[in-house]
Amino acid sequence: MRTKTFAAAALLAAASLTLTACGSGNDSDKPVAVVSEQAGTEKAATVLDKPFEKPDLVLTDTQGKKYDLRKETEGKPTLIYFGYTHCPDVCPSTMSNIAVAKKQLPKAEQDELRVVFVTTDPDRDKPAELGKWLKGIDPQFIGLTGDFPTIQAGARTLGISIDPPHKDKNGKIISEHGTQVIAFSPKTDGGYVLYGEDATVDDYTKDLPKIAKGENP
Amino acid sequence: MRRRLGPAALVIAGALALAGCGGSDSESGDSGSGSGKAELSVGSAYMPQPVSDEMAAGFFTVTNKGGAADELTSVTSEIAGQVTVHETVGSAMQEVKGLKVPAHGELVLKSGGNHLMFEQLKRKPKEGQTVSVELHFAHSGPVEVEMPVKPATYNPKTGH
Repeated sequence: MRTKTFAAAALLAAASLTLTACGSGNDSDKPVAVVSEQAGTEKAATVLDKPFEKPDLVLTDTQGKKYDLRKETEGKPTLIYFGYTHCPDVCPSTMSNIAVAKKQLPKAEQDELRVVFVTTDPDRDKPAELGKWLKGIDPQFIGLTGDFPTIQAGARTLGISIDPPHKDKNGKIISEHGTQVIAFSPKTDGGYVLYGEDATVDDYTKDLPKIAKGENP
Repeated sequence: MRRRLGPAALVIAGALALAGCGGSDSESGDSGSGSGKAELSVGSAYMPQPVSDEMAAGFFTVTNKGGAADELTSVTSEIAGQVTVHETVGSAMQEVKGLKVPAHGELVLKSGGNHLMFEQLKRKPKEGQTVSVELHFAHSGPVEVEMPVKPATYNPKTGH
């Protein structure tokens, strides 16, 4: 009986090695089998030992009004993301994931939550454009624009580096987006949880109720 | 006696592994038809419902069973004035002239990596619709793809 189990185990081990070997031939950097094995156990949230201080950003909101990030979001659970609207892939999916998860919070908590999208492409993302784009995702989301060096400096204090938009040889503008969403606690106003761009709706749905209370997800 | 089952099983599995993978480098010398050219098929295509009618993204996987590489060179669609192929480098996305489809390999377009960018949309694609896309390659003939429009938050790993 025992030996049989061992044989089966050996076969399984060999089979998974096979998958790994084949997978890596196609997709150069990641063996397919290993990635899918870990997907279930991996946590999307990274809780920081040393939270980030909220950046001291004073920018312009989608109404064209001055928005002092620290003042406006003090004592509120806050998510901050740096991106741009001429971004077909990661920026809309990140914001949409948060929007869908947010709708599953009780109404009062939805109203407390501040989701702040700071543009990395302020020349194109004027208040009106930003407002129109965010309205298509969640009308409660806050969009901020301003001058690029201010935005870049604010992002840098959160460990996010963004280069200014530049033109490629066809004259098309290339902008950059941050790869992380940072959650700030309503209790300490510290940025204590990070999410990578592969965080899903389910991850945010599971974690937002905790973040709303300043607890660790 | 029974104990030898273990190593024996391992050896058999090892042989299977060799048979399964061996193709990738040795098959190019085969006399079979098809081995000297690309044999493409396209799967896992989808478009996340875009935020606005300005731009959209598209993803799919091209599988090449043939013994020669090919290259995705351009894309056209009934829905967009322009479709371009992009790669993601760090946190920037940039247009590329083409993307290689390796022999006996795959070209994967997925969120956070290579993707199509649809611009000058003629209408805003809505969840449940399909978008017709034609892929053009350096060597193989064009491939028509019916791309289903999925929710903005669609994740192919979980299927929702």
